[in-house]
Amino acid sequence: MAQRPPEHRHVAIDWLADQPELAGTLELVWRQAQAIFPAERLSDWLRAGRDVADRLGSHAALGFMRNSPSVATAAGAESAFALATALQEIAACAGGGAALALLVAAPAAARRLGSTQAFGEWLRVLRLVADRAPESLGLLLQRTERILATIDLRGLEGWALRGIRAAENEPERRLRYFALIDPLAKHALEQETEGLEFADVERELKAYVTALWRRAPPLRALPGGGVEVPRRISFESGIIRVPTAFRGWAGRGGRELFRAALAHVLAHLQFTPARFPLGGLKPIQVALVSLIEDARVEQRAIAQYPGLRRLWLPFHVADASGAVTAPALMARLARALIDPSYADPHGWIGKARELFFADPSAWQQPGLSRTIGGLLGNDLGQMRAQFNARTYVVEPLYRDDNQGLWDLPASPAPAEVEALQESVRLESREQDTLGGGYGAAGDEPANRASLVPVGRELGIPVARYPEWDFLIGRDRNEWTTLIEYPPAEGQEETIDAVLECYPELVWRIKALIRAAKVSRPVRLTRQSEGDRLDLEAAIAATIDRRAGLAPSAKVYARLERRFRDLSVLVLIDASQSTNDVIGAAGKTVLELERDAATLLGHAMDGMGDPFAVHAFCSETRENVHYYRLKDFDEDWNAVVKRRLAGLAGRFSTRMGAALRHAGRELAQRLSYRKLLLFISDGEPSDIDIADRRYLVEDARRAVLSLRQQGIDVFCVGLDAAGDGYLARIFGRDNVVQIDAVERLPERLPLLYFRLAG
Amino acid sequence: MDLDEYRLRDEPYYRAIADELRLFEAAYAERMPLMLKGPTGCGKTRFVEYMAWRLRKPLITVACHEDMTASDLVGRFLLDAEGTAWHDGPLTLAARHGAICYLDEIVEARQDTTVVIHPLTDDRRVLPLEKRGELVRAHPDFALVISYNPGYQSVLKDLKESTKQRFGAIDFGYPDIAIEAEIVAHEARVGRAVAELLVAIGQRSRNLRGHGLNEGASTRMLIQAGRLVARGIAIEAACQVALVVPITDDADIRGALTAAIAALV
Repeated sequence: MAQRPPEHRHVAIDWLADQPELAGTLELVWRQAQAIFPAERLSDWLRAGRDVADRLGSHAALGFMRNSPSVATAAGAESAFALATALQEIAACAGGGAALALLVAAPAAARRLGSTQAFGEWLRVLRLVADRAPESLGLLLQRTERILATIDLRGLEGWALRGIRAAENEPERRLRYFALIDPLAKHALEQETEGLEFADVERELKAYVTALWRRAPPLRALPGGGVEVPRRISFESGIIRVPTAFRGWAGRGGRELFRAALAHVLAHLQFTPARFPLGGLKPIQVALVSLIEDARVEQRAIAQYPGLRRLWLPFHVADASGAVTAPALMARLARALIDPSYADPHGWIGKARELFFADPSAWQQPGLSRTIGGLLGNDLGQMRAQFNARTYVVEPLYRDDNQGLWDLPASPAPAEVEALQESVRLESREQDTLGGGYGAAGDEPANRASLVPVGRELGIPVARYPEWDFLIGRDRNEWTTLIEYPPAEGQEETIDAVLECYPELVWRIKALIRAAKVSRPVRLTRQSEGDRLDLEAAIAATIDRRAGLAPSAKVYARLERRFRDLSVLVLIDASQSTNDVIGAAGKTVLELERDAATLLGHAMDGMGDPFAVHAFCSETRENVHYYRLKDFDEDWNAVVKRRLAGLAGRFSTRMGAALRHAGRELAQRLSYRKLLLFISDGEPSDIDIADRRYLVEDARRAVLSLRQQGIDVFCVGLDAAGDGYLARIFGRDNVVQIDAVERLPERLPLLYFRLAG
Repeated sequence: MDLDEYRLRDEPYYRAIADELRLFEAAYAERMPLMLKGPTGCGKTRFVEYMAWRLRKPLITVACHEDMTASDLVGRFLLDAEGTAWHDGPLTLAARHGAICYLDEIVEARQDTTVVIHPLTDDRRVLPLEKRGELVRAHPDFALVISYNPGYQSVLKDLKESTKQRFGAIDFGYPDIAIEAEIVAHEARVGRAVAELLVAIGQRSRNLRGHGLNEGASTRMLIQAGRLVARGIAIEAACQVALVVPITDDADIRGALTAAIAALV
């Protein structure tokens, strides 16, 4: 090992005599350095250390002395010199703190990267960040290991540049980005992650599950895949959480892995009838019971779907070589219980196999897992095999984290139980703590809208409308004031959930759109020109000719596609009464109205017909609230969804004014046909009107005047008893009563297609 | 005219699912127009053929389409050397000479076309040929059967209320697993085990109805897959050819179906 005589060391230390701390450190790392650096580079290394000491102080130089040998071990001797150079540049751009952070991060990075070239690349990316976002470099370096565990260098560069670009002039935001607090940062990190993403295969996976198990449990992406803990699929109370990506599994393998994981969870959903009580089980027993249960449900699933064995087997790669630790044994056991051709000499595994395969009919009982798991757990305990519940990760990769198997106490548990929980719970523990004072601000997801109560003062009076007084038989001019309020915003997810709520319907409406969009061809017969002869006309013409009459020249037929030119405004009644809960689903009328508008909006978005969604309610004639949830020229986007989600029911229903306003809006459209779809749950009313007939007559008057302007007004009534007044207002043919309100979301889009078709 | 070419000579294979044979016979005895509802490929047409054979009546089948006009059903004047000559359409032919007229996928035809069957389907049992100035009285053996697939298009394409209400209806679905396997085994000449596997595959695909597929794989499709298997094609490949690829162009759904089939085999 020692290529230089020991006295060389003394020479070197003497050389650092004016830097006693460095000399002391050198004593410690000398042997290591000697082993790593070629003899002729040793003095260069010392010089580099001195340089660092001169420029950045002895603190940095100490770090360099201590850490550069590890860097050199992992990524080659030249990396250490590259590090020294980079240190000084980075210190110049981003300050001494960042340089120190670089020293701390370098060994881990070198281990990850493993080559001089890659290490050099890494330093290049760091320089880039130091140059453009100097304040953030320290944070980035602190998270080096975590980030490099997730993405490769190219990904790192892309990710860093994205952060810099996203927050060009906002150092605060950049800090949040590089501290991985900004949701964008995590999202971007996941995007840079190699491997197949759940989002890419979600649709296929859903179809796969539906086809095989005839049920479609909600699938949710489990974010932050692979950053800290190896991710496993997880299920709890019917929701399956799938890792956004399994690191390193791309293409076909990744697809199979997702499929295997889902098939495993579905096997649980089908064959694990109830959660196991924790009882007094030790963590290792919990892990083993889970393992046996995994094997049991898989055996049962294989009996039903033999091909699943082929799907699962490739992921069982444990074999009898290697150290006998508890996790290794358990991985081998998992394989032994599914792979008949796998031979394992270990007695414990042999015993487990015997117990498990003794009586396949016993697989019907989930209690079996508990019995066998408990026994095996005891044995394993007696073997004194190492088991750490905190670091234990279920193997193989496709199996779930067992969280859905156990009845975990919900209340804060004593330490012992907590350890048990640890053995089955592998939640990502966010380590996003930031030294600075911007932690709290950063915790709030940037893309979430906060609910701001809409104050009265925020409304803008936009119009005054007349109201028809049937008693005096004339309009009262400028009688009502219509005030537009900015709609409150809710959670976009609510609306997305609505679409998920009615999968079949969404599909069906989509099919209708496809049919409607291409606009059915119409066959025009007896035309004076066309691409084919109209047989009937031709024969008639010939008969005429023979009979000596003048034949018609219109003997052609042609197909023509008729395009539609239609604007639709959906006006939603958002009065207090819509808060009533209706039907078995436990939804309020307003929610159903919202669902219906969502489905319709979703459908129309694909269709290209301009449409708007507005809502109204009223408190006296002086204050008719009007909300524009979606305007004609607005896209069906996140903002619109949030507004729909934020819709709340209150006050009364002064239809006339709202109808007039909506009509005015529609009248400005240039479409050939204009359709106003009105959804209401009750008769018009307001607190300042006692005569029930008054508002009905006014609304009727409003509808009549709209009709004169060429606007079709159509009403969807949700009040079974509303036949009388709704027919009076809108005319008998223009009202559809929906008796079962739960069916509104289904009926409205279909109704629309009838009206528009 | 005895409509000989419209008679079925050999007994078509039909496996009764419930009491549809009795129902049809009773309805025919009363000459009640019948509507057969059910998804594509579940055996509606085969059933009509079988019944025509059983009742020993000629069967005239019309596949309806969007461009079909009333004259396509009723008949028209055509020109020949002597002048114009009237040619009976399939409906007139059946009514005049006493056949079972089967209008397949009636909703495909436009509503104004289908109203020509109205006078034939109530107690008048006549067919006015207005162009010819003739009133055809239906032959006592004449009966009308229509088929109708209540699929997703039914909002845009539906029968008129006045058309619907003239018919009795028998609802067809895919048969139970055991019966369907029996049918597949017979028609495709494959073993029982293969047939059962194919039916299981069909069932999985039907789970996707409304979740990516308009319809699941029909019995007809399964039989076709079975025939390929009987010719020595591996079952997964046969299902690809006869089932997965024809049924959808959606790559995701194809992937899911292929994987589901792999899980079953």
